[in-house]
Amino acid sequence: MKSVRKKELRTIRVQKNALGTNEEIALKNKTIFGKAFVVNLLSSPGSGKTSLLEAVIPVLKDAGLKMAVIEGDVDTDLDKKRIDALGVPAYQIVTNGTCHLDARMVNNSLGRLDIKNADVIFIENVGNLVCPTSFNLGEDIKAVVLSVTEGDDKPLKYPAAFYKSRVLIINKTDLLPFLKADLERIIKNALSVNKDLKIFETSCYGIPKDSPAGSACDKGMLGFAGFIKESVRSKTARLQGAFLNKGLGI
Amino acid sequence: MHEFSVAIGIIDTLRENGYLDGVSRVAKIKINLGKYSGIDKNYLSFAFQNVDDKRFNGAEIDFVLNDGDEITIKEIYVD
Ligand SMILES: Nc1nc2c(ncn2[C@@H]2O[C@H](COP(=O)(O)OP(=O)(O)O)[C@@H](O)[C@H]2O)c(=O)[nH]1
Ligand SMILES: [Mg+2]
Repeated sequence: MKSVRKKELRTIRVQKNALGTNEEIALKNKTIFGKAFVVNLLSSPGSGKTSLLEAVIPVLKDAGLKMAVIEGDVDTDLDKKRIDALGVPAYQIVTNGTCHLDARMVNNSLGRLDIKNADVIFIENVGNLVCPTSFNLGEDIKAVVLSVTEGDDKPLKYPAAFYKSRVLIINKTDLLPFLKADLERIIKNALSVNKDLKIFETSCYGIPKDSPAGSACDKGMLGFAGFIKESVRSKTARLQGAFLNKGLGI
Repeated sequence: MHEFSVAIGIIDTLRENGYLDGVSRVAKIKINLGKYSGIDKNYLSFAFQNVDDKRFNGAEIDFVLNDGDEITIKEIYVD
């Protein structure tokens, strides 16, 4: 009787991040970003990422911060044009169908965008609450934008974006009176996924009733702007500290 | 939807680190998958059956699920 000899398989231990190559490019991006504080904005399409930038950029500009914006969309440079109108350098990545940005796409864009003096770089990811969460771009933080019209169950249904983000912006709060969505429940659900989320409630339109006098922004938007300013300050301090330590051989 | 990109990312990572040198077929890949990784394991398995690198087309993907957000390649079983 002929015995069929089963070929032995070799086992190779790997123990590596599955997206190791993306991680390496993300690390290069981090070096190129330098002192700039980099925010990777995640959300479903239409939650108001670009509107948020239109509202917050003038506030940060007034505070003397220099900015640059990388826009990611499946098609068109419409969002880049909206940022151009604010007088801030912007580069549009057109993914031609891909549902997320990856580190290589951002790396390619960095040669074509003036980031030399930037204190803050916003990367507006492709509108999609799932796919962009898997790809590190070299950012300092992810910020997820959820508009109230999407419903208060979304942090539970799409947890990865909330788990990986440092900041949650709950946008379109001006529409709450017309919806069944409950602000408290959005917050409770988001915190159940990630208890450390910093949360800002914003509206990009209308003069909100809690708007501080003389400002077109509501408290949440100014809070987010304040968070960015503070983050720029602490990143600079951290880098200077590291530089000094190195200089002293510590 | 992005599982195809992740599959390509896994193959790139394995290749660039020399794990595929002299390998004619990958029979199985053991992956640790966090519940917050944002990856659908069925789509990821499906993606490998369709990648250009034919050595992966018959690969069985063995997922070990856990609580974090990691996607880690633990081991590969190869000819
Ligand atoms: N009512 C209301 N509409 C908003 C708000 N923010 C954005 N929008 C609208 O939502 C739509 C999508 O906004 P956009 O900024 O392009 O979203 P993006 O796809 O996330 O960049 C646009 O029609 C905006 O005018 C808001 O705070 N309140
Ligand atoms: Mg947009």
